[in-house]
Amino acid sequence: MIGLIGLIFARGFFADSGVQVALAVGAGVAVVGGVVGVFTVMRGQSFAGHAIADLGATGGAAAVLIGVGPLWGFLAIGIAAAGTMELIGIQRPRGRDLATGIVLGAGLGLAALFLYLDSTYHSTSGATVTILFGSVFAISPSTIPIVIVLGLVAVGLVGVTYRPLLLSSISPEIAAARGLRVRVIGMAFLLALAIAVSLAAVTIGAILSTALLVGPAAAALRLTKRPGVAILTASAIGLGATWLGIVLAYDSYDWPPVGHGWPVSFFVVVAVFVSYLLAGLPTRFRRVRRAGLA
Amino acid sequence: MRAIRGRLGLVVGLVLAGLAVSGCASSGTTPATFGSGSPGAIVAVGAENEYADVIGQVGGRYVRVSAIESNPNTDPHAFEASPSVARVIGSARLIVQNGLGYDRFMNNVEAATSGSGRRVIDVQKLLGLPDSTANPHLWYRPETMPVVAAAVARGLAEVQPAHAAYFTANAAAFKRSLTGWSDALKAFGERYPRTPVATTEPVGDYMLAAAGSANLSPATLESAVMNGVDPAPQDVTRESGLLSGHRVKVFVYNQQVTDSLTAGFLATARRYGIPVVGVYETMPTPGYDYQSWMVAEVRALEAAVAHRVSTERLR
Repeated sequence: MIGLIGLIFARGFFADSGVQVALAVGAGVAVVGGVVGVFTVMRGQSFAGHAIADLGATGGAAAVLIGVGPLWGFLAIGIAAAGTMELIGIQRPRGRDLATGIVLGAGLGLAALFLYLDSTYHSTSGATVTILFGSVFAISPSTIPIVIVLGLVAVGLVGVTYRPLLLSSISPEIAAARGLRVRVIGMAFLLALAIAVSLAAVTIGAILSTALLVGPAAAALRLTKRPGVAILTASAIGLGATWLGIVLAYDSYDWPPVGHGWPVSFFVVVAVFVSYLLAGLPTRFRRVRRAGLA
Repeated sequence: MRAIRGRLGLVVGLVLAGLAVSGCASSGTTPATFGSGSPGAIVAVGAENEYADVIGQVGGRYVRVSAIESNPNTDPHAFEASPSVARVIGSARLIVQNGLGYDRFMNNVEAATSGSGRRVIDVQKLLGLPDSTANPHLWYRPETMPVVAAAVARGLAEVQPAHAAYFTANAAAFKRSLTGWSDALKAFGERYPRTPVATTEPVGDYMLAAAGSANLSPATLESAVMNGVDPAPQDVTRESGLLSGHRVKVFVYNQQVTDSLTAGFLATARRYGIPVVGVYETMPTPGYDYQSWMVAEVRALEAAVAHRVSTERLR
């Protein structure tokens, strides 16, 4: 038993303060991602999440430039982007896709400029990797309370609006006919989405953050159609993928090239992808069996 | 008359380009030119200002030198060339660059600008170092600059054979003036043998080795910081342990390759009272030439080991 544990967790894993912070932040982010992600998928807003993440890279790069933590940049730009989307109604890919694409491109262009300035005129050499792909082992412990507070705000927003949000996600028309303020609910949800994306960006980087948000939720919704169960399942998958990623990244210190360790983001995204594929298996089996019986 | 005006234009262009290079680098605008350089002087470029300084010392009044990299607040590893830099390089008759991929932009610009009769001294090739050399920061290596100075003297003499004796004499004088540094290194090594030190990045490692110090930081951490990627958590823990466990006497901190992680190490060193010595990718200016910079680094090491005094920045 002890041998097995030693095989899974390389030496020093639990004593490592960087790992402890990563596990704590990763857990918070995964749970928030599960809650918000399920609604994101149900509302067909994974594109909006992706847009917020891309623009968040700009905010993160700008934050490093003015000397504050990237999280604040992700958050500020994310909320601004969510508000703008709500105002001009482009949360879905079909809505004004050309304008959205051009704005996204301009945002990433700005991110390129800021990252260039970060590394050329400042001596912040690691900024590019941190912003785009995340540096979960390099998060300062003082970030944990911020993650918890932001996570509570996002989960709280979803919790307070849970029933109307559910109805307006399944059928906006019925929700509107029942007199629900669909627009206000949508705005509150976009705010929660912006927070969830920013938190995910801290863990696995701005570019990959939607993978952690949408992937576990999509896998969960393949397994169950009940929203409550889906939220729990998505949180569990997200947590499993994030923690597995952290363990493997820590273990990879001994893999070639020895002493460097593979990036956490890679492992997390692979774990999310595999869980999505696996979640599709039960339905396929059922279909095969039904075909066999007929 | 036209020739003079053309030359004047060149001078103005060079000065402007130099200003642009150092100017857009904000903060302490550093002079990008070295050497007295009268009209008719040989136009030369040092990719980093430490090499420009050596060219200036060898060429004296017969060269006008520009440095591409001289801002102490930036990371030369991440430098990208601009059109103004290309103009400066394009007009040079003699170029000194580090090599080992440290200033690859120089090769790109040289390939793109026509320079007939241009002499390029690649310090890596000059020293016969293989591409696999792990540490590119050759200017902290005591053997490097005497060889560079001699090569610069030869190169300048090819351009202006009439002043060959002057260049050779200057190179010899430069080599003699470095004994202050090599003596200080030797004395430090004898007085404080195998002093345990921690570093963030390999920039000063050649000097630390020459001073007989033992660098306990993981080499993989140093190279990760140098290359702007995240070090493994194991290495981060080891590095922090060196500082918090008082296992090193000095923390050698690269002031030009920093991020939140290195800043965290710096804070740890301060908290546990480990003296800090700042080291640089480019020569800190004003106030230093190459020799006085190198001597100042050894003095800072001594102050750290003997009196537990930090010299975070050379001034």
